[in-house]
Amino acid sequence: MAVTRDAIVTPRSVTNDYPGGVAGFVQKARSLLTGAAITARAARRPPVTVRYPAEKLTVSPRWRGALRLRGLLGRDGIELLTAQSPAYNSVIDGLRRSERLPGCVGNCPANVDARGQSFLIADDRVAEAYELVRQRNIMPGVLGRICHHPCETACRRNHYDEPIAIRPLHRFAYEQFQEFRPERLARFENTRGKRVAIIGSGPSGLAAALDLMRLGYGVSVYEKDAAAGGALRTGVPAYRLPRDVLAREVADLVEMGMELHCGVEVGVQIPLAELITRYDAVLLAVGLQTSRILPLPGAEAEGVRGALEFLRAGNGTGEAGVQGKRVLVIGGGNVAVDVARVALRVGASEVRLASLESSEEVPAHPWEIEEALDEGVIMTCSVGPEEVLAEDGRVVGMRVRECLSVFDETGRFAPQFGESLTNIACDVVVFAIGQSAALDALASDSDVKVTEQGRLVVDGSAFTTSAEGVFACGEVVTGPGSAIGSIAAGHEAAISIHRHLESIPVDASDRVRRPVPTYARYAEVDLRLVEDLRRRAVMPLADAEERARDFREVELGLSRDHAMAEAARCLRCESEICVGCTFCARTCPDLALMVERDDTPGARCLTRYELDLTLCSFCGLCAEQCPTGALVHTGQYELAFYSREFMTFDAAEMLRDPGGTRATGADASRHASEGGAAE
Amino acid sequence: MSAECRTVVNVGPSHPSTHGVCRVLVELDGEIVRRAEPIIGYLHRGIEKMAENRSYLQVVPLTDRLDYVGSMYANWAYCRAVERLAGIRVPERAEYIRVIVCELQRIASHMMSIGSTGADTGAFTAFMYAFNQREQVVDLFEALSGSRLTYNYVRPGGVGADLPEGWVERCREFVAQHPAAMMEIDDLLFGNVICRARTKGIGVLTPHDAIGWGASGPVARGSGVDWDLRRDDPYSVYPRLDFTVPLGERGDCYDRGRVRLWECVESCRIVTQALDQLEPGPVQAEGLPRLLAPRPGDAYDHIESARGSLGVYLVSDGSVRPYRMHVRSPAFANLALLPMLAEGHTLSDLVVVLGSLDPVFGEVDR
Amino acid sequence: MSFVWGLLYGTGAVILIAGGAVVGVWWERKVSARIQLRLGPQQLGPAGSLQMLADVPKLLFKEDVVPASADRLLFRYAPLAVFAPIAMSLAVIPFWAGWAPLDSAAGVLFFLAVPSISVLGILFSAWGSHNTLATLGGVRAAAQMVSYEVPRALAVLSVVVLGGSLQPSELMDAWRWWWIPVTLLGFGVYFIASIAEMNRGPFDLPEAESELVAGYFADYSGIRWAVFMMAEYGAMIASALFGAALFFGGFMWLPGVAGLAVHIGIAALIITAVMWVKWTFPRLRQDQLMTFCWTVLTPLALVQLVLAVVVALWL
Repeated sequence: MAVTRDAIVTPRSVTNDYPGGVAGFVQKARSLLTGAAITARAARRPPVTVRYPAEKLTVSPRWRGALRLRGLLGRDGIELLTAQSPAYNSVIDGLRRSERLPGCVGNCPANVDARGQSFLIADDRVAEAYELVRQRNIMPGVLGRICHHPCETACRRNHYDEPIAIRPLHRFAYEQFQEFRPERLARFENTRGKRVAIIGSGPSGLAAALDLMRLGYGVSVYEKDAAAGGALRTGVPAYRLPRDVLAREVADLVEMGMELHCGVEVGVQIPLAELITRYDAVLLAVGLQTSRILPLPGAEAEGVRGALEFLRAGNGTGEAGVQGKRVLVIGGGNVAVDVARVALRVGASEVRLASLESSEEVPAHPWEIEEALDEGVIMTCSVGPEEVLAEDGRVVGMRVRECLSVFDETGRFAPQFGESLTNIACDVVVFAIGQSAALDALASDSDVKVTEQGRLVVDGSAFTTSAEGVFACGEVVTGPGSAIGSIAAGHEAAISIHRHLESIPVDASDRVRRPVPTYARYAEVDLRLVEDLRRRAVMPLADAEERARDFREVELGLSRDHAMAEAARCLRCESEICVGCTFCARTCPDLALMVERDDTPGARCLTRYELDLTLCSFCGLCAEQCPTGALVHTGQYELAFYSREFMTFDAAEMLRDPGGTRATGADASRHASEGGAAE
Repeated sequence: MSAECRTVVNVGPSHPSTHGVCRVLVELDGEIVRRAEPIIGYLHRGIEKMAENRSYLQVVPLTDRLDYVGSMYANWAYCRAVERLAGIRVPERAEYIRVIVCELQRIASHMMSIGSTGADTGAFTAFMYAFNQREQVVDLFEALSGSRLTYNYVRPGGVGADLPEGWVERCREFVAQHPAAMMEIDDLLFGNVICRARTKGIGVLTPHDAIGWGASGPVARGSGVDWDLRRDDPYSVYPRLDFTVPLGERGDCYDRGRVRLWECVESCRIVTQALDQLEPGPVQAEGLPRLLAPRPGDAYDHIESARGSLGVYLVSDGSVRPYRMHVRSPAFANLALLPMLAEGHTLSDLVVVLGSLDPVFGEVDR
Repeated sequence: MSFVWGLLYGTGAVILIAGGAVVGVWWERKVSARIQLRLGPQQLGPAGSLQMLADVPKLLFKEDVVPASADRLLFRYAPLAVFAPIAMSLAVIPFWAGWAPLDSAAGVLFFLAVPSISVLGILFSAWGSHNTLATLGGVRAAAQMVSYEVPRALAVLSVVVLGGSLQPSELMDAWRWWWIPVTLLGFGVYFIASIAEMNRGPFDLPEAESELVAGYFADYSGIRWAVFMMAEYGAMIASALFGAALFFGGFMWLPGVAGLAVHIGIAALIITAVMWVKWTFPRLRQDQLMTFCWTVLTPLALVQLVLAVVVALWL
């Protein structure tokens, strides 16, 4: 063994000399003997190098390159997230736990399988895509027009160039589906013999209805208005959602077995208690019906209106009594923008939007604001309403105060106002600052409890109310939110009702989780060098000048070619199947990768994937940024194990299982034992 | 003797003792070197310019190829500059891992230098013993990063991956046996009368010249210049670690080589302490963007590499690519000493002097 | 007739040296490998012992490159000029009781003088290559080999003084076992000086790899290079056999073939020691080499000579 010294202590100075005279001569001679002794000792030691047969310089079946592909476009389809509604949440949760949940699916409140939609559309299976989306998003045609698409926000393509146009693809799928509608719509039978009443035909009520029908219940929906749709019909302007689309989607549901009673106001025409006795369960999906109006001085003057009432009038009749008048909308949310745009369409001479937040903080979606500004809406930011100016009981203007900041350091709503006051002249003031429920008439004769503030007493995760067998869902539970959020609540209320009716016990672990994955923050993408082929399909819009005059649809829809190309952009995140996105090749500092693919609908495949090891520097950046997780390290980087003739690895080579890694030594031992046996 | 009678010899660019691809234009008077002019640039790849066209993360593999004998250092120096530029806080475990791998890298790099001192003087066996030690370090790095030369391991915000299972034990085994192995090499090489005769009094560098020419690392410390960035401009977790900085007195090849030898022993001490203090935790800063785009500005940071103070200067214009990167390479500054040190010695000593400066031409030429 | 005998002897010497070089190279590779914690050749034959059978044809078939600026005649025949004197020196080594191939009355002198002619061959090759590094190597070799002749001759002289004859067979007849302790110092001087004579480490300055690439044979390839290598191994074999006979009695220990085996065994040990030294020590510098020769080795050889003379007189 090596020389052992008890304590090897580093000297401060490393210089040392031989002493003079005889001692020095002896030391010199001894150094020669010491050296000879060291080499002699080393010769007795077992060599540290390895015997040749153990590490031959030929390509063994094991060494398969530094990188491996798990799957290939064209060989494997991706897994579609289909399941019965109650099982769906556990599927999603399992994916989340294994960190294989695609961002779009995870960030959608209803977990719509947008990845599967892109897969099917690019494969020219549009009807299947529509049905896949309808599993969770019950009205793809409607949501494909109005959704605020959190899926696109989470799309991984945001980090490379631009997100996939998931929402326009929903709409495209709906439009293409009309062709197949007669043959593919099937009626759900009431197999369980139990019936559920749903009050309200908004998105959440209809979502629950579809889920319950799928599970084999009979469903009756009560709607107080003349037609179904709830807030989709009364609140969403027709230029965003043509009414015939909504009607057709509702008609589809009716055709699938839903019983629809329109113009029946529960609590007025039929008491709630009667429904509770007639049905096995009742679901309240009534939504929020009244607008909040600030109790300002002058707020009772003629011309002060609530947003919902205004929209209901504007959407329903095309006449809201503002012809030729100046309209001031208070609020900065999406409802306020809708009000402003509707006001333009019903003939207001000037529409002004006054928001408390600054132009960067406005809560409305930026694309909506942009479209509104295009149409001629004027925005006034950072002002808070102070007083409604009235003459003879009629509105003549609004006094607003400068707002310095809206949120405090912790992010809570705590507006700070400045001193300066401004008067804005207007004839009509519309408050779009929030909504509340109107439940008094509904709940008056039942066990369902309502708080003094007029809110329903409800368990937010089981969707049960204070009365046995009565459930609630939608905005009446969650507060004002998005359509897709209401649909998600509807799905979960349906699970809850199913549990109640089948006496499936509920425990804490069964509670619905919202598996929204968290994402690292990435820097802004630099789009300057991104070629057009990689960019998102642009949605054609109607001309701003013309569209602002009537309720024609603003978004015109994608063409078939555009939609197919857009769907092919999907990276199929976490599917572990290479889609040939070429980002690995683009990242590679050494240009060692070559990727090509063929986008023929129905036969999409990777035509080329090559790794040139002579160029590869094993930096690993390609595998790190692979969006699908298909490209992985094998841990085999030692060039000595490759034959020089085979330095370029094609897709077939890279698909093979390399079996263990050299770096961990996992099969070095296996190899050694094999070598030992051979000798 | 007049200049006309001098023999001009090209040592390199392809020569066993140029430690890469350097050409030394030597004017000989008999065997006495009258002038030795290193001609560099044979390994120039324009790395600083290439860095301007890559994202901050993509530059890391480039820095591997600066000092290819000690890739971890350039990784680290670059990452420190990026972290300073972008204001990234590195988790403590990552800092400890960085210290551990860089001290192991110092051992690996010095083994190359000490081994080549042996090879230059004809003692090839010492070279093999040194490489036996280096191989063990490289094996450790292979388990860590997958490669044996260009590791791409230290990344902005932390390190590429956590230590694999069993790595700490393997590392402890290595540092436990290393000092004794170093003493064996010391006896075989620096204790040997012939080696002493070949290295003592050769290429004497005075402390004054060492400072004046910007020498750093073992070259400066061999001359007794007591300067070590790990101690004198403490960075990372070095203040928590106890170590000695060995110094030479004469500034000759012998002192330079032996400073390296004892630094290896000290590195073992540092690694042992760092392994003891290593706590579980993340190895990458959280919430780090995949495409870094630091605010416009500039940053310089330096570390004590095996060759001296290695600095990286970065300028950002706010985009995702560095606007400018400059590397202050210790090997370049040290190599400049060669004409002065080699003059008056024989051709045989020239290669020993060149070896004792331990230049790595990837870093000299960049 | 003598021409035929000479041809026979010459062929025998070439075969002996070539075979010895084949075994020697394999043995050196094994020894150096074990010293350096390696395995050495191992693929062909047991422990790689047939590796040289593959290497020799390779060398034979390699292209025989002559540099354009070389002096073609000198360049081509320099290897022979190096090899021939060393092959000749084998003639006077006593292998058998009372017998040496060329049992000349001046045999010992022949052994000391003739191999030195190879210095000329080295100078031929150095000059003929027309290469600065080769020239430097050649000049180094000339100075070194001429200088180390002196202590080497003095060391051998001490045995001659004891034996009282320059004829190898007579010298061996006179050999007694107690000569070993008396001439041990002489053997040390002979050993070191022989290493310098055959240009091996730590005295391999003429071919110093790290400085002169390969010194005087830097431009040689193929079979001509192989002849240089054979000359080096031939010198090693000749020096070892001669030293084994003169300083350790060689075949005198046992009668007949067994004695020959002992002789070769001792020589093999000496060769192994030469290799051991080469793979242990660094190389000296030119001036240190000369200083060592004249201030250490030559005085030691003189001390040995005086000792031998005193012992011889006392007898």
